[in-house]
Amino acid sequence: MAGQGYGPPPTGPALRLSPKVLLTDPIRMLPSLFLPLAGVLFIGGFSPGSFGWAAFGVVGSVVFAAVRWVTFTYRIAGDRLELTRALISRSVRTIPLERIRGVDVSNPPLHRLLGIAVLRVDTGASGDEKQEGELDGVTVEEAERLKAVLLWHARARMARRAQAQETARASAGPDLAAAPAAGPSAGPPGAAAPREARHEVGETTPERVFFVVPRKWLAYGPLSGAYLLTPFALVAGAVGLAFQWGSEFRIDGRTVVGAGEWLWRHPALLVGALVLLVLAMPVVGTVMYAVFNWDFTLRAREGYLVAERGLLTRRSVSLERRRVRGFELVEGPAERWAGFARAWAIVTGLGDSETRGQLMPVAPRAIVLDVVGEAIGPIATGLRAHPVAARRRRLFRAIFPWLVVAACAAVLAVAWSPIWWGLAAPALVLALLGVPLGLDRYRSLGHTYDGARLSVRSGSLRRSQAVVEERAVVGWTLRQTWFQRRAGLLTVVAGVGAGTGGYEAIDVGEAAGVAFAAEVTPGWLAPFVATETAERP
Amino acid sequence: MSDRADEYRDATSGAAAADRAGGGRPPGGGRVPLRAPANRVARKAVTLWLLEQVFWSVVLVGGSFFLARWIDADRWSWLPLWLVDGIWWLPVVVAVLVVPGAIVEPFWRYAVHRWEFSGDVVYARSGWISREWAFVPVSRIQTVDKTQGTLERTLGLATVEIRTASHAGSSTIKGLDYEVAAVLAEELARRAEELRDDAT
Repeated sequence: MAGQGYGPPPTGPALRLSPKVLLTDPIRMLPSLFLPLAGVLFIGGFSPGSFGWAAFGVVGSVVFAAVRWVTFTYRIAGDRLELTRALISRSVRTIPLERIRGVDVSNPPLHRLLGIAVLRVDTGASGDEKQEGELDGVTVEEAERLKAVLLWHARARMARRAQAQETARASAGPDLAAAPAAGPSAGPPGAAAPREARHEVGETTPERVFFVVPRKWLAYGPLSGAYLLTPFALVAGAVGLAFQWGSEFRIDGRTVVGAGEWLWRHPALLVGALVLLVLAMPVVGTVMYAVFNWDFTLRAREGYLVAERGLLTRRSVSLERRRVRGFELVEGPAERWAGFARAWAIVTGLGDSETRGQLMPVAPRAIVLDVVGEAIGPIATGLRAHPVAARRRRLFRAIFPWLVVAACAAVLAVAWSPIWWGLAAPALVLALLGVPLGLDRYRSLGHTYDGARLSVRSGSLRRSQAVVEERAVVGWTLRQTWFQRRAGLLTVVAGVGAGTGGYEAIDVGEAAGVAFAAEVTPGWLAPFVATETAERP
Repeated sequence: MSDRADEYRDATSGAAAADRAGGGRPPGGGRVPLRAPANRVARKAVTLWLLEQVFWSVVLVGGSFFLARWIDADRWSWLPLWLVDGIWWLPVVVAVLVVPGAIVEPFWRYAVHRWEFSGDVVYARSGWISREWAFVPVSRIQTVDKTQGTLERTLGLATVEIRTASHAGSSTIKGLDYEVAAVLAEELARRAEELRDDAT
C-alpha cells in the first residue's frame, strides 16, 4: 500500500445516473400520486377527460424524472466529488474526498430487480444532512467502482499524511495485514461474501470475516424489544389508511365509526382480536427482525469494518477503522435476563450512528464481546462502583414521583370521590416497583479507565456501557445540581467527537469524579485540581 | 503560559487573582477538589443578567396579570369557583416566586462564573444553583466564536463560544469585557491553529 504513488487523482468525466431511474423514480412516486389520481378519476366520473388528466399526471411524473436525470451529474474532480444539479438554478455540492468517512451501498427491492443501487456518501458533518451525498440509481458495478475509488482516495490521503508525519498509529495499521486468517470466532466461510467486492485500484484485498450471525439466532430478535409492537403498528396503520382513503372509495367516516361501535358492542370479538395481536407480537416481531437482520455479517476489508444485513434490502455499511473510537454495548431487560447483548461502534463523524454503526445484532453476550473484542477492542471490566449516595438518589428518583402521585390521588379520593383510588393504587404499585428499579439503576452505574480506554455504564432497565479510547476525548464537562451538591456527587461528561457526543458517568463522588477526568487526561486537569481540600468524610 | 494568564488577569481590571482553595468559593459547599478559575467575568455582566431577569420577570408577571384579568372578566365556568374568585392572587404569587430569584441570580452567577486559559486548556465555571465546570483543550478546538447580542453590545460585553467536535466538550463564556473577549478569541484561534490535532 505504501509503495504506490499517490498522485493527485485526475478529473473524471461528468457522469449521469443509470437511465433505469426513469423507471424507479415514477414508481416510487406512485403512492403519493395515487390519491390525487384516484381523486381525479372519481371526481371526473371516469370520463375520458378524467383519464386524460390522470394520464397527464403519470406522464408528468415521468417527464419530471427524466428532467431530474438529465440535469443531474456527478464526477470526481481532483480531490473532490461534485454533485451538480442544473435544473433552474445550478447547484453544485462539493464533497472533499478527504472528508468521506464511509460509503454505504444499499439495494432496495425495486432497485435490485433492475440491477441498480443507492450509494450514500457519509461525510464528517455530524447530524447535518445537507453535507451528505446520495446517488440514487447507479448500476451495481458503478456503485462498487465508485465505492472503491472514493474509499481508496480517502485512504490514499491518509497514507500520504501518515508518511509525512511518520507517526505510527498503533491501532490502525497492522491489524489488517497481520490478522490471522481465521480467528477463533470467524464464521463459516461458505456462508459469507456472496458478492466479492470489485476494486479497480488493483490492490490485494486482505478481507476477513469476523462473524456471520447464524440464522437460527434471528429467533432471539424479539429479546431486544424492537419490532415487538409491529402488529399494533400495522393495525394502527390500516385504520389510518381506512380513514384517509375511505373517502375515495365512498366509505365515509360514519361507516368506520359505525364499524367501531359495532365492534365495541361485541367485546368478545374485540378481546379475541387483542389476544390475537398479542400472540402475534413475537411472531411478527421475529419476522420483521429477520427481514432487517438477515445474514448479518461483520467483516474487515482494507481498513474498513463492513456490516451487511437485510433480506429484501441488502444493506452494507462501511466504517473506516481509523475513525472507530470505541463501542457501546447495550442490553435490554429481557436480553440481560437471557444473557444477550447488542453492540454499536462509536465512530467519529458518523451521523445516525444508532442504526448505522451496528456491529452485532442480538446475540449471546459472550460472543458479542468476542467479536467486538477482535474487531475493535476488549470491553473494560472491573468498573468502579459509585458512592452509596448515588444509590439513594437513584432510589429517590425511581420512587418519589409515584409516591407524590399516589399521595395526591389519595387526598383527592378522600376529599372528592373514591374513583381517585383507581389512580392511587397503581401509583403506589409503581412506587413499590421503583425499589428494585432504583437498585438496578444503581447497579448499572460504573466507570473505569484502563490506561488507554475509558468506560462508563448507566441505564434504567436498558443498560448501556460505552468504551471509548482516551484520544477521542475532546473535553470534559462536570455538572452538579443543587441536590447532587448536597449529596456530594457530580456527573462527569466526557466530550467525544463521535457517537452521541458525550458519555456520562452519573453521580460519581466529587473527588472521584475529578480524579477520573484527571486520570484520563492528566495534562488538561492537573493545573486546576486543588491539591489540598477540606475533604469532609 | 502563566504570563498570558497574568495578562488576562490585568485585562479583567484585576478582578481576582487565582484563588487558593476556599478563597473565592461561592456560598454553599464547594467540596469539589477543583480550584476556581483565575478570572471573574466583567462586573457589567451583573447588569446584563439583571436586565435579562427583569425582562423575563415583567413578561411572566405581566402575562399572569393579563390572564387573571381575562379569567376574572369572563368568569371561566370550568374552573372551580374559589379559583376564579381568588384569581387576582395569581400575579402576586408569580411575582413572589419570580422576583427574588431574578434579583439573586445575577449576583450569584457573578460569584460562580469564572474562566481561565492556561496550559493550553480553557477552564470555565458557570451556573448558579446548579454548577458546571468545563475543560476544553486548545488542541481539540474546532471553532472559536465571539458573539455580541444587542444588550451585550450596549454594555460593551461579549460572549466567547468555544466549540469542539462534541457538544459535551464545548464551552461558552458569557459576560466578558469586549476587549478581553476579543483578545481571548484571537489567542485561542491562533493557538488552535498551531496545535491542530486531527485525532477526531
